[in-house]
Amino acid sequence: MFRVSPLHIAVVSLALAALVACGDGDGEPGAASGGSESDGERAEGSRLDAVRDRGSLVCAAVTDTPGFGFLDETGRSTGFDIDLCRAVAAAVLGDPEAVDIRSITAAERGPVLQSGEVDMLVFVTTWTTSRDVYWGNFVQTMFYDGQGFMVPASLGVGSAYDLGGSSVCVTSGTTTELNMADFFRQNGLEYDPKVFEESQVALESYASGGCDVFTSDRSALTALRTTLANPQDHLILPETISEEPLGPVVPHGDEQWFDIVKTVMGILIYAEAYGVDSGNVDAMAGSDNVKVKRLLGTEGSFGQEGLGLDETVGQTVIKAIGNYGEIYGRHLGPGGIDLPREGSRNALWADAPCAGCPKGGQIYAAPLR
Amino acid sequence: MKRVGRYIAALSAALALIAALACGSSGVPQEDYDALQAELNSTKAALDAAQSGGTTSGDMVSKADYDALQRELDAAKASTGGEMMGSRLDTVKQRGKVICASRNDVPGYGSLDAAGNNVGFDIDLCRALATAVLGDPNAIEIRLITAAERGPTIQSGEVDMLVRTVTWTTSRDASWGNYAQTMFYDGQGFMVPADLGVTSAYELGGAAVCVTAGTTTELNMADFFRQNGLEYNPKVYEDTDVVLESYKSGSCDVFTNDRSQLAALRSALPNPGDHVILPETISEEPLGPVVPHGDDQWFDLVKSVMSLLIYAEAYGINSGNVDAIAAGDNVKAKRLLGTEGSFGQEELGLGQNVGQDIIKAVGNYGEIYERNLGEGGIDLPREGGRNALWADAPCSDCPKGGQIYAAPLR
Repeated sequence: MFRVSPLHIAVVSLALAALVACGDGDGEPGAASGGSESDGERAEGSRLDAVRDRGSLVCAAVTDTPGFGFLDETGRSTGFDIDLCRAVAAAVLGDPEAVDIRSITAAERGPVLQSGEVDMLVFVTTWTTSRDVYWGNFVQTMFYDGQGFMVPASLGVGSAYDLGGSSVCVTSGTTTELNMADFFRQNGLEYDPKVFEESQVALESYASGGCDVFTSDRSALTALRTTLANPQDHLILPETISEEPLGPVVPHGDEQWFDIVKTVMGILIYAEAYGVDSGNVDAMAGSDNVKVKRLLGTEGSFGQEGLGLDETVGQTVIKAIGNYGEIYGRHLGPGGIDLPREGSRNALWADAPCAGCPKGGQIYAAPLR
Repeated sequence: MKRVGRYIAALSAALALIAALACGSSGVPQEDYDALQAELNSTKAALDAAQSGGTTSGDMVSKADYDALQRELDAAKASTGGEMMGSRLDTVKQRGKVICASRNDVPGYGSLDAAGNNVGFDIDLCRALATAVLGDPNAIEIRLITAAERGPTIQSGEVDMLVRTVTWTTSRDASWGNYAQTMFYDGQGFMVPADLGVTSAYELGGAAVCVTAGTTTELNMADFFRQNGLEYNPKVYEDTDVVLESYKSGSCDVFTNDRSQLAALRSALPNPGDHVILPETISEEPLGPVVPHGDDQWFDLVKSVMSLLIYAEAYGINSGNVDAIAAGDNVKAKRLLGTEGSFGQEELGLGQNVGQDIIKAVGNYGEIYERNLGEGGIDLPREGGRNALWADAPCSDCPKGGQIYAAPLR
């Protein structure tokens, strides 16, 4: 009988070794392997194991956008996106501080996900079909945004359609850059793009008069305007030129990890819908509402065991971070950059069961069951 | 003997190539990759044949050796997230049809027309996928399954897509497969005979309730009655039409299902006016297609097809005006239709003009809704509901302010 020669096995092994070697970030064994088999068996969630062995969750994040990701006076990373990272750390490691925030540029987002060197990307990242294919798996839209333009009031412009011939500051490697090009071409307007790697540098260039217009997502414009010397000297033009659904992204190839992050987003959203917040978790865990009890792990299941999460992960996450509404309020609402939520697309869905929460929007997640 | 050697050499080369691709290096010609993919597939076929048929000739290596290679192949596949292999797309193309697990017993979603054709909202999603991948909306095979068979069917990977009024839940996402996209927002309700004299679900204590087995409906029903301290007598059946028959024959007082299905099934009763759908909605039921775990390219492909249907409506593209808009000057519409730019077609293994093919063949989301769930079908109102497009959708007179939304095509 023919035997497979050692040479053949060696060639196969070399190929596999190359594969495994390139997939590992910073020598963390198994960080990029995983996935599940087509026969429906769940493979071991190797990223979950890697995160637990490492003891921290590595998030690639934005650190220069107020509201979403920035450093507070003490140098601590904070913001809406950062809290999504902390929520996953609380779920997986029991500690919202067990995060390693990697500051990257917008253009580095695809590469850091593709290499698998980070566990999650939370960087005001717009979901698109191409990125879903090339970068990794978009988990869940956590904020609906759209692109706009900011100009100095002294420019005397009242509409984006009046921007022909202007110079526009923008960050490279973003959908913002692409949408800007679409918009000017669509409307037959000439323009002069000034492209920068870092949004802070783009903003500084705008602030110092290096370009006439600054373009970004409207929420970012609102947030960044507050950091300018005289915010009232700048106008955000009324037009919204694109769809920018923002949310976390995970590397391809590990479906358990994808499902874990999705479930954590579901916990944040349904906690608000069920009226569970960081202050009332203990009381609510003893309630007689079966949906609340399932969320908090005191009865039934929404798949915790299969995901490798504790039964009471809902309690841990909400105690540590609060529900979606608390996170929004702290960073994007009155406690932060003050973007109105009521009546916007970032309210909970129309039929959400909560009594006093903002409803009629698109914030929604997989039912926890 | 030589055959086996060649397979192993091909396997090794293919694995090396996959490794290169996984490392992000570029410049591998598509035709080389395709050729190696084909060899890899034939190798895998040989491995499968040897494993199922045992060792029957001198050409065959031992089962243990094959098992070892298979494990390594699986490991390589897992390491690339499955997407570099694109195996389900290849399988579907070789097979020449898309296999969808669905149903034929609920008007609006999945039923048979007078000519015996599978029709419905869910069926049209399958046809859209078949158009995208095979260029033919009729290149489908509908496998009829019960509600309880949905999990096992998608877990086994024996179907390419599950489209059978399936509610997205966290547990199913983890144990069944990948939910692609919510295409209809539903919620559970109760139907009773008008002569029962009941006007609220809270008055159903002591009632016998007909329900389909293996559904979120069954679980939500249990939650509802327990939550409200009401006794009830569940009558559980495998098939929805049997549940309905049982309700019609009076062996239970109440029929529970998603509200849209209650509306559809009531319209098929002899005297619809004799039945009342109670006002309470007791659950969240976001419905949409599900694909097997383990193939990110296929998952992304199905998601992109759903996006095409939704954004076509948002951009005002329908089955009747595709050609005109493809030649127009709207850059977003042209990207959707493939006459300019890209939304990832090449990497997904789709034709550049896949958007044109789909919209010509099955229409946009609004057309599919209208034909099956709207006035052309079971007449569920869309305007003002959660199944309208999102508030900022650019279309001028489409239903807006709802939750129907998808990944932007770019």
